[in-house]
Amino acid sequence: MTAAGRVSPLALEVEGVSVSYGKFLAVESATFAVGAGECLAVIGPNGHGKSSMVTAVAGLARRGGAVRVFGAELPVADPRAAVRAGLVLVPERRHLYPELTTRDNIMLGSYMRTRRIRARQAWEDVCGVLDMFPELARLLDQRAGTLSGGQQQMVALARAMAAKPRILLLDEPCLGLAEAVARRVYDWLGEMTATEMTIVLVEENPAHALLVADRAVRMYKGLVEPLEPAA
Amino acid sequence: MSEFLNLLAAGLTSGAIYGIFGACLAVWFRVCNILNLAVGDFAMLGAIGTAELVQSDHVPFPAAVAADLAAVGLVAWLFDRGVLHFAFDRRPGGHGIVGVFFYTFGLSLVIEGVAQTVFGTDVHGAPAIWPGPAIAIADFHVQRAGILVIALAVASGLVLWAYLRFTVSGRAASACGESVLGSRIVGIDSALFRRRIFVATAVLAALFGVVESPLTGFTYLSGPTISLIGVVAAGFAAFRKPGRAVVAGLAIGVAEAMLGGYVSTSYNDVLLYAILFGIIILRPEVLGLSATAA
Repeated sequence: MTAAGRVSPLALEVEGVSVSYGKFLAVESATFAVGAGECLAVIGPNGHGKSSMVTAVAGLARRGGAVRVFGAELPVADPRAAVRAGLVLVPERRHLYPELTTRDNIMLGSYMRTRRIRARQAWEDVCGVLDMFPELARLLDQRAGTLSGGQQQMVALARAMAAKPRILLLDEPCLGLAEAVARRVYDWLGEMTATEMTIVLVEENPAHALLVADRAVRMYKGLVEPLEPAA
Repeated sequence: MSEFLNLLAAGLTSGAIYGIFGACLAVWFRVCNILNLAVGDFAMLGAIGTAELVQSDHVPFPAAVAADLAAVGLVAWLFDRGVLHFAFDRRPGGHGIVGVFFYTFGLSLVIEGVAQTVFGTDVHGAPAIWPGPAIAIADFHVQRAGILVIALAVASGLVLWAYLRFTVSGRAASACGESVLGSRIVGIDSALFRRRIFVATAVLAALFGVVESPLTGFTYLSGPTISLIGVVAAGFAAFRKPGRAVVAGLAIGVAEAMLGGYVSTSYNDVLLYAILFGIIILRPEVLGLSATAA
């Protein structure tokens, strides 16, 4: 069920996904599905495989098992295929390009669409995302490495939105942010849940996540377990 | 006045050599944070390989240049696929200082060894692309090869600057050096950028070797000296800005020529490092050494 209360086709299917680092098994046969337009929270304590799982789903780490986006299976460890399919990750700790400007950071979110054109044209293609993050308009020519943590998180979200995602994976979007900034992030997320976009929200602390999620699963010791539906 | 102009021409020529290799180093370092200490060896392969093909094998000069550049490009491509791919793509992160210079230093040693075996220890020079005597205007004389060297350096610097500044691909190349994971998230293939720019700068260095060799001559040992010159010029450009590396190289060359002409050539190296230390102390941000806010 989506926030609008309608039953929807599956946007993301994660089936038997496992991730290991050497002999250490970080994710063990994770299986869950997310309907189109639905917001799923994946909660659980740190170090139990949440980030490894979303990183592997986004094609950034080798994995076992299957990941399907709107029915089409994604190849293993191919982030370009994931972006092409409309699946975009906002990683923990953001991973911006600190020496590039805010404008360039956001623009590169559209790289798969705009890689063969001039930077100026590419910016025209994506500058609409500033409507969602008006506070970034005055920071466009500032190097991303000089922004505050909250501003950097807005840039990371804007970069993801520039990719025009159908499925957005958010890994600890409020990690290390002040409460007021975290509230701003969740206000935005609340707006996104009212759209057609599918969201997978990874959070250690369920307090915020359960406010915006349609339902939640728990990740513990590398295993995904169902959780009672959010109120 | 004529002495000044002749010193200026000599300085711009040697400065262009600094600048082009600095640009090659800077653009690749910007993309993957690795110093290409084999860039001088690629230039050596360009110069000596072309000279051998023309003089020993009697291959027509244009065909020799084309074959030599293709061979250098192939060597660079094979090195990336056979070494850098396994070193960096299969085991991302955690390379530290070893990754910054070790692999290309090893490549430099291998190329030198093979070049000594194949080409011997003699001095080689490819035929001049623009043959003829020095161009004289009153008392001002400039070598034709020198004009080509300066033109190629300036053109290369401009092309690299425009690529990085005006294209999405250029911004993506920069992003790879900033954050590999961050670039992969948006679909940028950082390994492909590393490979393409490594091959392109290797071919550019080889072409520059062909153009430059009538002026300086090359032996199998010329590579490390050239690479070191490139490292210094790239240092003046924070190892990130190829256009600035060319400008810095030209400025250093002119300053050295003036110092050598009017004072003594003994102070050339002193001047180079005095400028570098002065910038580190007074304007560290020029070299990318200033602190960055989190």
